[in-house]
Amino acid sequence: MEIFKIIKEHIAWRHQIFKLAKADIIKTYSGAALGWSWAVIKPSVTIFVFWFAFSVGLRTRGPEGYSFFLWLISGMVAWFYISDMWNQGTGAMRKYSYLITKMKFPISTIPTFVSISKLVIHLGLLAITIVLFMLAGHMPDKYFMQLPFYMLLMFLMATGWALFASVMAAMSKDFWNLVKAFSTAIFWLSGIMWDPYSPAIPYWVKNFLMFNPVTYIVCGYRDSFIYERWFFEQPLLLAIFLGEMIIMWMFAIWAYKKLKEDLPDVL
Amino acid sequence: MEKPVIEFKNVTKRYKLFKNDKKRLMSVFIKKIKYKEKKAVDDVSFDIMKGEAVAFFGKNGAGKSTILKIITGVTYPTQGSVEVRGRVSALLELTSGFDPELTGRENIFLKGQLMGLKDKEIKALENPIIEFAELGDYIDQPIRTYSSGMKSRLGFAINANIKPEILIVDEALSVGDASFRKKCVKKVNEIMESEGLTLLFVTHSASDAKEFCNRGIVLKNGKLMYDSDIEDAIKKYKELLT
Repeated sequence: MEIFKIIKEHIAWRHQIFKLAKADIIKTYSGAALGWSWAVIKPSVTIFVFWFAFSVGLRTRGPEGYSFFLWLISGMVAWFYISDMWNQGTGAMRKYSYLITKMKFPISTIPTFVSISKLVIHLGLLAITIVLFMLAGHMPDKYFMQLPFYMLLMFLMATGWALFASVMAAMSKDFWNLVKAFSTAIFWLSGIMWDPYSPAIPYWVKNFLMFNPVTYIVCGYRDSFIYERWFFEQPLLLAIFLGEMIIMWMFAIWAYKKLKEDLPDVL
Repeated sequence: MEKPVIEFKNVTKRYKLFKNDKKRLMSVFIKKIKYKEKKAVDDVSFDIMKGEAVAFFGKNGAGKSTILKIITGVTYPTQGSVEVRGRVSALLELTSGFDPELTGRENIFLKGQLMGLKDKEIKALENPIIEFAELGDYIDQPIRTYSSGMKSRLGFAINANIKPEILIVDEALSVGDASFRKKCVKKVNEIMESEGLTLLFVTHSASDAKEFCNRGIVLKNGKLMYDSDIEDAIKKYKELLT
């Protein structure tokens, strides 16, 4: 079974996977004069722009007891990782084509180490988010313990996506462009800049969002930071997410199995 | 009887050429998409035993690089079977396995790690490799700043020093200057004698081939035309060229 082969490869190459993740982080941020700080500057600029436009411009308020800024970053911190995996995760095979075309390498591990590299950045941003909450007077409480849970789900789903999409994108640039084109749409439609739970949102939108995995994770982060909801309070949503994750991995393994021998010839 | 380190049984490699990218993507889902087929390797069989030094001759496009890629494990045969018993250290094209953004030194570690060596082992080999490559201060510059000669030197320095069992050299030596080539020849002979290295050598130069190899395989249009001792193989290759 292909999934066992993939797991075996990951175990055998686990040292190299972490070394390559480290190299990926270094490569992404080195060279530029600002280096590491770029990992923080870029999301900060994005946050500032949204905060300014919504809070100052549109006068959007945060929920009871929290500023709009805190509500914003608690969800955005998850989105930055998801968006990185949506766009750059899809480019993983292309970016590391030399591992595929010039040597014998377990290709299935490429999306994994790219995902780990992005996750490390995410952990840094998450730490900053927690610090910002503390500075505003909101100390970490028991609900913060859910963050590793949502992070794990996010990581597994994103890595499955990256395996599927990077194999497809390696075969076809059109596919990659298609994926990139949807990135903005997903951001605006997933309830990151507006609260899906708000009573103003129509019933049919809420139903639709039940099936959006991005919404599930972003709301999960907000539930942990602000709304004090446990994940087991909404078992149906969790079940849908897990089902979607299994389907995602089925697609990923199908694409990988079908195309892995074609990749060295096509890239 | 010892098993061959490389066994090729009726290997054929076909490439699918699609009209455009879109058709290639569609072919993943729909079986009926038309494509042109190119046979890079056509029903090739041979066995190579440990310690042999085999030269591969053929015009450009004869299938030599494809066969070496299959042996290295980079690409897969469309038909037939391949068995490789031993660690393959291959220099396929100049930027073989380098990450262009990392420095020469970082790439030494990367390559070593990818070949399964521990950090301690790589550290021990680091200086001999750097000295062999003669890159001076450039060793700490990113590979993308290297000339083709420099990449070739570093590539060979790493591959030859990482204790290979099967060493594949694909025309990389053609880029070095005379003194470097001399060094490479010496090093290859050293490893061959001391460690029973199996050498696969792709070259257009008969004199280079005779230097190392006792056996020659001649390819034409993907087919194996001749497989015998080096002198006869060279003769046959020269005949095919005329």
